[in-house]
Amino acid sequence: MNWLRQHFFALGDAFSHLLRSPGNFILNVLVVCIALALPFAGLTVLQNVRPVSEQLSVQPEISIFLKMNVSRDQAAALDGAIRTILKESGSIAKIEFTPREKAFAALKNKTGLSDVLATLGENPLPDSYVLKMSGFENAMDADKIDDIAGKLTAMPGVDTVQIDSAWIKRLAALLRVLRLVLIFLGITLGAVVVAVVFNTIRLQVMTQYEEIEVSRLLGATNAFIHRPFYYTGALLGLCAGALALGLVVLALQPLNLAITEFARLYASEFRLMPPDLTATIALLGLSALLGLIGAMLSVKRHLSRLT
Amino acid sequence: MIEFAKVSKQYSRDVFALRDITLSIRKGELLFLAGPSGAGKSTMLKMIAAMERPSGGTLTVSGQSINTIKPSGMPYLRRNLGLIFQQQRLLHDRTILANVMLPLVVTGAARSDAERRARAALDKVDLLDKANAEPQELSGGEQQRVAIARAIVNRPQIILADEPTANLDRDNANKVLAALKSFHGVGVTCLISTHDDQYLSGAERIVYLDRGRIVDSWHNSANDTLETAR
Repeated sequence: MNWLRQHFFALGDAFSHLLRSPGNFILNVLVVCIALALPFAGLTVLQNVRPVSEQLSVQPEISIFLKMNVSRDQAAALDGAIRTILKESGSIAKIEFTPREKAFAALKNKTGLSDVLATLGENPLPDSYVLKMSGFENAMDADKIDDIAGKLTAMPGVDTVQIDSAWIKRLAALLRVLRLVLIFLGITLGAVVVAVVFNTIRLQVMTQYEEIEVSRLLGATNAFIHRPFYYTGALLGLCAGALALGLVVLALQPLNLAITEFARLYASEFRLMPPDLTATIALLGLSALLGLIGAMLSVKRHLSRLT
Repeated sequence: MIEFAKVSKQYSRDVFALRDITLSIRKGELLFLAGPSGAGKSTMLKMIAAMERPSGGTLTVSGQSINTIKPSGMPYLRRNLGLIFQQQRLLHDRTILANVMLPLVVTGAARSDAERRARAALDKVDLLDKANAEPQELSGGEQQRVAIARAIVNRPQIILADEPTANLDRDNANKVLAALKSFHGVGVTCLISTHDDQYLSGAERIVYLDRGRIVDSWHNSANDTLETAR
């Protein structure tokens, strides 16, 4: 009970000091808010984009072009070998054999180059297999395709294997880079928040020097003296975090107007959503924690000097 | 209750604040520390409050050695002390009542209980009507009486008053001393330092200091003995 009372007193004391100089507090909140807003915004965008990228219908196609000297029987025999490779890798695919004559006919019909192709004299296209892969849930599975392609290339009679999943790999790599940038940004700006709170508490310790000294002489423990500063730091972080989240949510409104129009071109209803309740609580907690860390470091350094 | 045994305080090679002080103060005594400025009176009081540690000798307060007391133990020692400073050291951004409540607040007392006891302490120094005023609205004498109320509010075993009458006119100084003597009357040990001999009349015990040494000691016992003369 006594412990709880002391915490209530410390919280009240922190509030009363903040209210005595609200201008300073507001300015400090703004500085910390700016530092927090950038990583919060980045995190919000990443959280929105990640599920989209993960839910992309990834059905890569693998084209296997056979050597020109492979007979039709040899080509047909490869079907079994392909199925074995797919089975071993746990993949499912629709296998389609395209004879060279059919491919040539399709080329003539689709491209309108029949005259040009007629001058070649003979069909330059090989027999081929097209594997329409399924069971790949997200872009991160793209590496698995490479393994399968490697095994297919090693089969006798195979000339070239082409994969159309390169763009998926690029997207996955881009997301990984974005995540790393965000982590770096978060750590850097987190350090800025700690530094700002550290300095704020340092100034507060200096202005409350007389009060601290008198309290010590009247029997105040270190915990009693430190607690209001801890609460001040945490409150500063919490208020700045709430303001930063508010700014991010506000910024989403005009951004979504532009994104909705763009997404409509691709028949998508994609829009940026603000952080959900769990994420909001986590971000506010993180902001308060950064403030608390700044305050604890400052109190440890500056009050131990006074001692 | 307070035992100085060959206590010295040395700040640098040639600067001694106290030299070989041996003094025993019993529970409930009213003792005046007299002597000129720089005699070591304040240093003695600071040592009792564990604001300074002895450089030599041993000092014991209520059974607690000041030589070996840990920083974590100091708050609990000080809760049994009532400290009164020459400059009252009131907090100017708080009301008189809040200032007097502070020694109770730091111990975690309930607000209602702290307020009731603070009002009672203010009543004892005739300043209850100033409870909601701020320190700067009070005269020097009144501020010193507030400091006394703050010192006695947690019912300390020992009151240490460092030059409580300095900067006060005679009338206010007498009021402050009368208030301090009244607490001695209820069994509180009082140590009062002063450089002004005019306030020593009626003292029970006087210790004279000069240049960090006890040079004379007078005890108003039945035969008015001179305890020590160095």
